[in-house]
Amino acid sequence: MTMMTLQDDLTTAAAKGNTADVESLLRRGAAVNGVNRFGRTAVQVMMMGSWPVAQALLQHGADPNVADRSTRTTPLHDAARTGFVDMVRLLVAAQADPQARDNQSRLPVDLARENGHAEVVAFLETLK
Amino acid sequence: MAHCTSFPYEPVAEIGGGAYGTVYKARDTESGKFVALKNVRVQTDQNGLPVSTVREVALLKRLEQFDHPNVVRLMDVCATPRSDQETKVTLVFEHVDQDLKTYLEKAPAPGLSSDRIKDLMRQLLCGLAFLHSNQVMHRDLKPENILVTSQGQVKLADFGLAKIYSCHMALTPVVVTLWYRPPEVLLQSTYATPVDIWSTGCIFAEMFRRKPLFCGESEMDQLGKIFEVIGLPQEEEWPTGVTVSRKNFPAVKARPITDFVPEINEQGAKLLMQMLTFDPLKRISALNALEHLYFQDEETSNQDETL
Repeated sequence: MTMMTLQDDLTTAAAKGNTADVESLLRRGAAVNGVNRFGRTAVQVMMMGSWPVAQALLQHGADPNVADRSTRTTPLHDAARTGFVDMVRLLVAAQADPQARDNQSRLPVDLARENGHAEVVAFLETLK
Repeated sequence: MAHCTSFPYEPVAEIGGGAYGTVYKARDTESGKFVALKNVRVQTDQNGLPVSTVREVALLKRLEQFDHPNVVRLMDVCATPRSDQETKVTLVFEHVDQDLKTYLEKAPAPGLSSDRIKDLMRQLLCGLAFLHSNQVMHRDLKPENILVTSQGQVKLADFGLAKIYSCHMALTPVVVTLWYRPPEVLLQSTYATPVDIWSTGCIFAEMFRRKPLFCGESEMDQLGKIFEVIGLPQEEEWPTGVTVSRKNFPAVKARPITDFVPEINEQGAKLLMQMLTFDPLKRISALNALEHLYFQDEETSNQDETL
């Protein structure tokens, strides 16, 4: 069994959308931009439908522009592809870059459009 | 079962673990999408994987051909031999980035509208009716494995794994929530697909309450909390051959369900009570629940769609 670090616990809590655990782990000293044993930060793996988790992480200084080391996908790409408009707005308000491109040269708005998320497309287009 | 040769999935976080194996949120590096990887450790002998595992996986693959809108997609299954005695079976499922627990927590006061609850319930029951008609029971339905897309589409996850896991579950005690567990499971009596209807009833109530209906801390406490609502069942309803005696519980009478779920309408309350029926044989089925008057009386629910 692999040892779980605070960082692993933080990313797990974020991925499960568990806001109370995220907040308590941050209070106990988990580094908000620290990576887990898969080399990912909490904001990269958080449950996209959970803006309360995103808000807790961002308020603690989470970097919203960290890209996946394999695919260059950013959290804004993931939020746009899955269509969670509240998350898209929150990330943009925290300075997530709407012009970030993944390894297939796609912008977040491209992924929103591909997946039929009209509200997200409309919002991202106002940023141009 | 295919071997894991071209495997484009990279784990990014652990999202579940237990005696049976581990669940990861992972990224499909080809599409960029998230997936859920479920690893199950299976004991093998000279004939390879046990017949029961092969059969369960075949069943899950057969279900996949129906492309049902209310269950998650099974995208891939493969096996990696670990030793002569053990093989890791990896199931790759669609990942939906929101569960019902988060969805309910996020809903601003006073909670979800009655139309939204009805829509969620209809989809949940459609998914269950589909699984049950294929002889698949979920056995561990809870808000964490009822997924809701950003478009409000319900997708059930973690179904059909119970039998694949079960041999390992028996070996190691796993902490699992009791709150959605029906009396027949708590009493260690025989059980079948009605278990999922009980859990659905608990979740139906929770959609209105925004907190669980029965929060027991042990099997006995859970049963006690259930009887405080539905009343202590009659002697003749108590299953035979179970170790827990009916005499352990106070002779409480059923209380009106609206004491616990005040926002529910009349037909909703009737359906809820047919789901929270002690005797699994008298409990309503998923198909019959979909035919219930609760879903027929449309009230104002069509207005949103015509806008």
